[in-house]
Amino acid sequence: MAVIEGAVIYSNLIVLLAMGLTLTYITTSVPNFAQGSFAVFGSYIALTFLRFFNLHPYQSIPLGFIFGGLLGILTYVAILKPLIKKGATIVALMIATLAWDLILLGFLGAYSDYLTYSTGKPAKKYIFTYLDFHIYNISAILIVSTLVILLTLIGLFFLLYKTKFGIALRASMENPDLAEIMGINVEHTRLFSWFLSGALSGMAGCLLPFKQEIVPATGAIIIVSIFAASIVGGLSSIVGALLGGYIVGLSESLVTYALSLIFGTGILVYSKVVSLIILVITLLLIPKGLVSVKWRKVIKWRGSIS
Amino acid sequence: MAWEHILTEIFLWFGLYSIVAISLNIEYGYAGIPNFGRALAVLMGAIAVGGITNRLLIAMFGISGNFAVASGIVKTEVNEIISSDPYFGIGLIILSIVIAGILGYITGAIFILPSAKLSEDYLAITLLAISEVTFMVSYYNPDIIGGYYGVSTPDVLAFVPGVYRVYIFTLIILFTLVVTYLFAEKLLNTPYGRILRAMRENESVVKSYGRDIMVLRVKTVAIGSAIASISGALYSMYTANVIASSFSRVEWTFYPFLMILLGGLGNNRGVLSGVFAFVVAKVMLTTYKYEIKSTLHLPFEAVWLEYVLFGIVAILILYYKPEGLIKEKPIITKPIRTRMK
Repeated sequence: MAVIEGAVIYSNLIVLLAMGLTLTYITTSVPNFAQGSFAVFGSYIALTFLRFFNLHPYQSIPLGFIFGGLLGILTYVAILKPLIKKGATIVALMIATLAWDLILLGFLGAYSDYLTYSTGKPAKKYIFTYLDFHIYNISAILIVSTLVILLTLIGLFFLLYKTKFGIALRASMENPDLAEIMGINVEHTRLFSWFLSGALSGMAGCLLPFKQEIVPATGAIIIVSIFAASIVGGLSSIVGALLGGYIVGLSESLVTYALSLIFGTGILVYSKVVSLIILVITLLLIPKGLVSVKWRKVIKWRGSIS
Repeated sequence: MAWEHILTEIFLWFGLYSIVAISLNIEYGYAGIPNFGRALAVLMGAIAVGGITNRLLIAMFGISGNFAVASGIVKTEVNEIISSDPYFGIGLIILSIVIAGILGYITGAIFILPSAKLSEDYLAITLLAISEVTFMVSYYNPDIIGGYYGVSTPDVLAFVPGVYRVYIFTLIILFTLVVTYLFAEKLLNTPYGRILRAMRENESVVKSYGRDIMVLRVKTVAIGSAIASISGALYSMYTANVIASSFSRVEWTFYPFLMILLGGLGNNRGVLSGVFAFVVAKVMLTTYKYEIKSTLHLPFEAVWLEYVLFGIVAILILYYKPEGLIKEKPIITKPIRTRMK
């Protein structure tokens, strides 16, 4: 039971991060290699408010949302927008996000040193699990992470399908040039997608220390799962990120757990190998992800076989 | 610190990084394949030395027991043999380099396969993911190259007095660099080299001339990885102690990208100048890290400052000087030269 609980919590967080990655990929068409560090940034926001203001990490989720969003905007405005204006290639933009990831790692590392030095409590390697509690025998982190996902989905749904801005947003995601002709400011939608991407990652970051140990370089480890989730679902679809996040998150935890029952606990360090294998299989069979599969055709094809 | 020490350090790292940067330049600068998993090939070089050559020696000397202990015993035995018989050491260097080259070639060919047909962004993501996962596995699994503890390997230059060891090693590395440089120049001045540039500029044109993009990509990454792997092997033999954590993404993927961006894509002379500028800055930062920390009253380690600085430099280059220090020149083949006259 605890294993399934852990798997669901982990998947919830991966879904948030993968949705963040997908959002910016759709509007800016550059995969953000700094997405993992966005999450770690959120974790440090939560740690900061815990240490200095004694705020429980659950209470700092809104703060993670806001600060993460600001980080997203900063990424776009300071790094990517000038390069895009200069007509940089996609690879140049990818290298820029890789460089930005390194800069963030540098800042997070420096900040963690400073935090250790000024508070005298661990900040280079920390975990929040001891802060968690139970509500009717269910761990709070399961409820909170699921609530965050539900609220995000409902919010996104209302925003995208019930507001005028959402229509503009969807239009500029589908076809930026056409949207621009129709008088939609594509720049605004890009800015907004980066805000949202950072904000979702920031929230995920606040919750991540309940699931795993955080060090400044954690971003480099979780980025594999984030990419796997986004690609499995389909890099240019938000629904795909949702699907892919659960597939990758659940199988990463559950498959490794099942294997550990057979081969012993030594296998647990291979959890990322599972994500990688799923990623490779997806690329070989359906490179555009699950959402690109025409299910009706598959059913027809299977029907014709039997 | 003594200046000759700093100078040797600069030349040593210049040699190691230049080999990797040239390999990346073949792949990204010429062929336009954004290999965000360069570190994997370098790690393969380390595995060739710490994992394969070491095991061969253990088998040769018939030492039983677990891998870490056995490699410790083999190290002392082999060091003794090498100190009396230099040819054994030189043979070991050549053997390790050959194994590293083959292992790198095979790994390079395999690791690009799933994404060889895809567009650049998918390619970069997949290569990064494979490299990162392999790094993690070889760090956590003690059976490959000793995991967290690493594994000690024989000192291939045990016949050289300790003071001169680093100089001789630097010379070996620089010699390998010269060979690599000449090889790369030769390779890229053939029809194959020109088709790579054509592929970088426009894949459809290459396709329409009947060339298979996938085959070209696989071949190029295999060659590049073989070269990078040799650098990893040299580095591992130099330290005589292989540990997975020294083959991180920052050190062996991001920094080489920074160097070739700085020097100029698609031309090897530029890349060398880029590597030199980078290595001087990096060695200075590493050598004077305590001085930097105390003079600037930093409340944190200087390594974080290094990350921030190099990250900013990369973005500034991309913005202000995307063509690098030395610009790529058009290829002038014999027929073109006669026409120009």
